[in-house]
Amino acid sequence: MLDKRYIILAIPLGLICLLLCAAVLLGGTNTLEILACLAAFGVTAGLFWYLLMERRAIDVQVESLKNDYKHQRDKASQSCKESKDLRLAVQLLKRQKRNTEAIIYSIPDVVIVTDTGDRLLMANEPAGEFFDFDVKKIMLKPLEELVEKKELVRLVKNSRTTRVRHVKHELQFGSGDNILTCNCIISCIFDDADQVCGVVTILHDITREKEISQMKNEFVSHVSHELKTPLASITAYAEMLVDGEAADEKTRNEFYSIIQSQAQRLNRLIEDILSISRIESGLIKVNKEPVSTALIVRDAVQMIKSYAAEKDIKVEDQTAVVFDQVNADKDMVSQVVINLLSNAVKYTPNGGKVTVNSEVDESRQVVRVTITDTGVGIPPEEQSYIFDKFYRVKANNKCAKGTGLGLNLVKQIVERVHEGQVFVKSEVGKGSSFGFELPLIVAEKTIEK
Amino acid sequence: MENKKVLVADDEVHIVQVVAMKLRNNGFEVITADNGDEAYKLCCEEKPDIIVTDHQMPGLTGIELAEKIRGTPGIENIPVIILTARGFAIDDQQKEKLNIAECLSKPFSPKELLNHVENILQNSTVN
Repeated sequence: MLDKRYIILAIPLGLICLLLCAAVLLGGTNTLEILACLAAFGVTAGLFWYLLMERRAIDVQVESLKNDYKHQRDKASQSCKESKDLRLAVQLLKRQKRNTEAIIYSIPDVVIVTDTGDRLLMANEPAGEFFDFDVKKIMLKPLEELVEKKELVRLVKNSRTTRVRHVKHELQFGSGDNILTCNCIISCIFDDADQVCGVVTILHDITREKEISQMKNEFVSHVSHELKTPLASITAYAEMLVDGEAADEKTRNEFYSIIQSQAQRLNRLIEDILSISRIESGLIKVNKEPVSTALIVRDAVQMIKSYAAEKDIKVEDQTAVVFDQVNADKDMVSQVVINLLSNAVKYTPNGGKVTVNSEVDESRQVVRVTITDTGVGIPPEEQSYIFDKFYRVKANNKCAKGTGLGLNLVKQIVERVHEGQVFVKSEVGKGSSFGFELPLIVAEKTIEK
Repeated sequence: MENKKVLVADDEVHIVQVVAMKLRNNGFEVITADNGDEAYKLCCEEKPDIIVTDHQMPGLTGIELAEKIRGTPGIENIPVIILTARGFAIDDQQKEKLNIAECLSKPFSPKELLNHVENILQNSTVN
């Protein structure tokens, strides 16, 4: 469509041309009129030409603007695409960050991440609980402000400055009775330019593992000691016999008797250790059947009476044969009662008394067997340890010898194998009551339902 | 080894008996204790020439007994032989500091123990 300005100029230009042609053709026009027409024609043509050029210039501009627009549009489109890619990348990073945070927060160990200035970037809940800070308010706080343990701060800084990829230390936290031992694992994070950009520190609590390891070492040490003691007697007396140091028959017989008794002691110890080990590892064969505890107690009392008679100790069986059926391994429960009776007689001075009582507790659906003596008693502070392996009351060591395993075996058989409960009450100088409870058969059936 | 007095301390009566018999059969005078506290008391009263003691016993352990003796004027130089079923080893520095002449593991040979007692007393006399 033509610009209207062209149309406006084209009309007079056309008219002037027409007039000029008419004047020339008709011959009635003078030179001045022709010149005036020519001048008018020239001006009009000039204007027309100007407009034409302007239009061309505009067209060029428009073309240029179009190109610019196109270019900008392409650029915008590219930016848009890049922006979209960036958004996707950001979303992906956010998701990865969430996943990483979820992993870190789900780790039960203490995890803290610090930057190149040893300031906190991230810490999980266990870290907050361990060092007593709010994990949401720790961003960029210096590690030394949040962690009291100077040694830990020093180790983190040291690892960062020496660019150690991965190192493990053992650290202790707390004091007195509340010492925690932790494995401290420090790892440097490296960027693409192989520069340290952060440090991850993990604290793994190994207190319990250390305790177990120590208990195992102590157990082995105890077992070694207990086994070597009777063995020392056996080898010493055997050597004395071989070397003819026993001057007469009586002495020789005494030596033989000692060797024999010590060998039996060694055997009992080994049996006890094996029994306990088998029970703890679940390898023991258990033959449970309905048995009456009263009858088991009665048989055990008969067995112990001769030993008690040597010390002039009276053993009284006050159990009544009632419906006290329990689902139990008869031999194991026998061993429990014999161990408890044996201890009662052992730690009761001559002329004392041991009483056995068995009763059914209807309210709790258990059978309770209690063995009470008039013996030396156990100090209150030692009563909670009395069922531990190899534990022997120091003050009572003079009274009698023992492996220190009898009560532990009782506990294992009653609680681990039969899901019962052992108990003790004692007063120094007055005596002790040891006992156990086993669930009645009726109660077991109810539980099964 | 006439007139030499040995203190034997152990809470295992059979060990005390066999060691005492071996030493007596070889001319030693023997006094006995069944715990560390009694052993120390006898040391102060009887001033034996040498002590043969268990490590693990009620009251003072063998090491604690040796330590206490070192700190008691009049008996601080009595040599000590420790018998132990624990199998621990005392380092030479501690042995010298506590004047522990020998550390023997159980089970032990009464003959070897006698040899150690005689050698130690011999060296003490020479010194």
